Amino acid sequence: MSDVRNPLPTGTAVPRNPMPTSGTAEIGVSVPNVSVRGPEVPRTIEALDPVFTVSGLSVFYGDYEAVRGVDMTIGNREITAMIGPSGCGKSTVLRCFNRMNDLIPGARAAGKILYHDEDLYGDHVDPIEVRRRIGMVFQKPNPFPKSIYDNIAYGPKVNGVKGKMDDIVEEALTKAALWDEVKDKIKQNALSLSGGQQQRLCIARAIAVKPDVILMDEPCSALDPIATTKIEDLMQELTRDYTIVIVTHNMQQAARVSDRTAFFTAEVDADGVRHGRLVEFDETSRIFTNPSDKRTEDYITGRFG
Amino acid sequence: MAILSTPRSAVQLASKGRPLREHLFRIALLASLAIAIAFLAMLIVYVVEEGWPRLDSTLWENQPSIRRPETAGIQSGILGTLWIIGLTALMALPTGILAAIYLEEYADKTKWYNRLIELNISNLAAVPSIVYGILGLGMIARWMQFGFTVMTGALTVSLLVLPIVIISAREAIRAVPPSIREGSLALGATQWQTIYRQVLPASVPGIATGSILALSRAIGEAAPFLMLGAATLVRFNPEGVWSTFTVLPLQIYSFIARPQEEFAILAAAAIVILLAILLLMNSVAIWLRNRYQKRW
Repeated sequence: MSDVRNPLPTGTAVPRNPMPTSGTAEIGVSVPNVSVRGPEVPRTIEALDPVFTVSGLSVFYGDYEAVRGVDMTIGNREITAMIGPSGCGKSTVLRCFNRMNDLIPGARAAGKILYHDEDLYGDHVDPIEVRRRIGMVFQKPNPFPKSIYDNIAYGPKVNGVKGKMDDIVEEALTKAALWDEVKDKIKQNALSLSGGQQQRLCIARAIAVKPDVILMDEPCSALDPIATTKIEDLMQELTRDYTIVIVTHNMQQAARVSDRTAFFTAEVDADGVRHGRLVEFDETSRIFTNPSDKRTEDYITGRFG
Repeated sequence: MAILSTPRSAVQLASKGRPLREHLFRIALLASLAIAIAFLAMLIVYVVEEGWPRLDSTLWENQPSIRRPETAGIQSGILGTLWIIGLTALMALPTGILAAIYLEEYADKTKWYNRLIELNISNLAAVPSIVYGILGLGMIARWMQFGFTVMTGALTVSLLVLPIVIISAREAIRAVPPSIREGSLALGATQWQTIYRQVLPASVPGIATGSILALSRAIGEAAPFLMLGAATLVRFNPEGVWSTFTVLPLQIYSFIARPQEEFAILAAAAIVILLAILLLMNSVAIWLRNRYQKRW
């Protein structure tokens, strides 16, 4: 984690693409639910065309409130990065977006997450349907112990997709920039691929069910720099069709790929209970060049975390 | 000559001799292994040598007889054992595997009743087989009025191996990494699809191995059948699940109990057959495990 020790020179933090000029004027400004330090009021920039609108989200494990009062929006066809030190709750929040937290006994979310206009935690919502539309890529590549082909075909099959499976597989692998590397060994076991290829296979697997959003939980933390670059390039490609939310420990990665960045941190409350907080949520360029919160600045310059 | 900044003594790499304890420990391990293997070899050599004169086709072509020990066979015992094992496999394996799936994938381990069930299954696996014999006699043979039939025997042995099947199937299911389940669920698969298409196929080698080992334990059992008041000398093959039968261990027991020398030889030959069936089943288990073992 050299990026934590070395202060990030301002200027390397070039956002993926500058904000579209047509949209900048309409960006709403609201005061987030964080303690205010310093003279400037921290801003939360709301995405113009939100896929997720999170308001007052708290996540509990049993009686323990792991994350408190998160407000943020995830913009359509954007990459939103979530950064922060270990244990700050960024993965926990990510796993609320496709209700993967439901699988942990005792886990519960309070507050509201709107997916487009629908309450993700509404009574009528089927988590299976949620996960079909909101895919996920995990920290450690987890291909199924089957052939490359079967890995891709699995998602469409369980979702009852009709159509020519060969085409679906080829399309997904092509989109994940893996087709040329594996087209001659499509029937081989996926576990024979390298770590980076396995992770792109997992991305292809997520794409194959034609989701709306892809959540990525530290997708590059188990990969070497070359494989990481490939995944990052792939993410840029994918924003043409998908909304991406990525949790990363690598601040340079967040700076390189994302449009907006949410900075989380762990705080200890008056009762001595450690919990995660969203400190600042803003355009990536702003977070890395001119953060409004002192804690954000300390973190990105490596003074803390 | 270069001047070394590090003193010569600090870079001494030559062996200082392995400590005695290392050697002793290794010898103790080897000795334990040697004892186990030696006894197994002695057993096999002894029974093969003893039963050699009768290890021919009359052994499995003829039925047992008290009057003609020199030509008596064990056909009814071999077929009885195969019937029992087949029926036990049909009844105990699906039940055991489904129970294991419930306990591993569905049961909320924070609930007291699930923990109680788990504890009791472990205890049941340790219950002596003769106790199952009493249960079979009282419940199945008498109360349910199944009598001493293949069905009664198979039901009793099913109860006997069920806890072992459950425990080994649970271990195999638990060995499938949680990341596989997460990967499947994240694609919008239901819990049953995840279990049926990912977890079960990945754990089949382990489940099969455990099941075969559990069944081979059932093959060697004589106690529950004795308790059921089994006929030891059955001169006909079982014809269905409601037929009277005997099993190999019981036949061996009845031969040994007789005074004539020929019956001792016959018993040894029958033991060789029993061991052969056991070794065959265990080899299949090992083959299955090696053939389908998963690397993660």
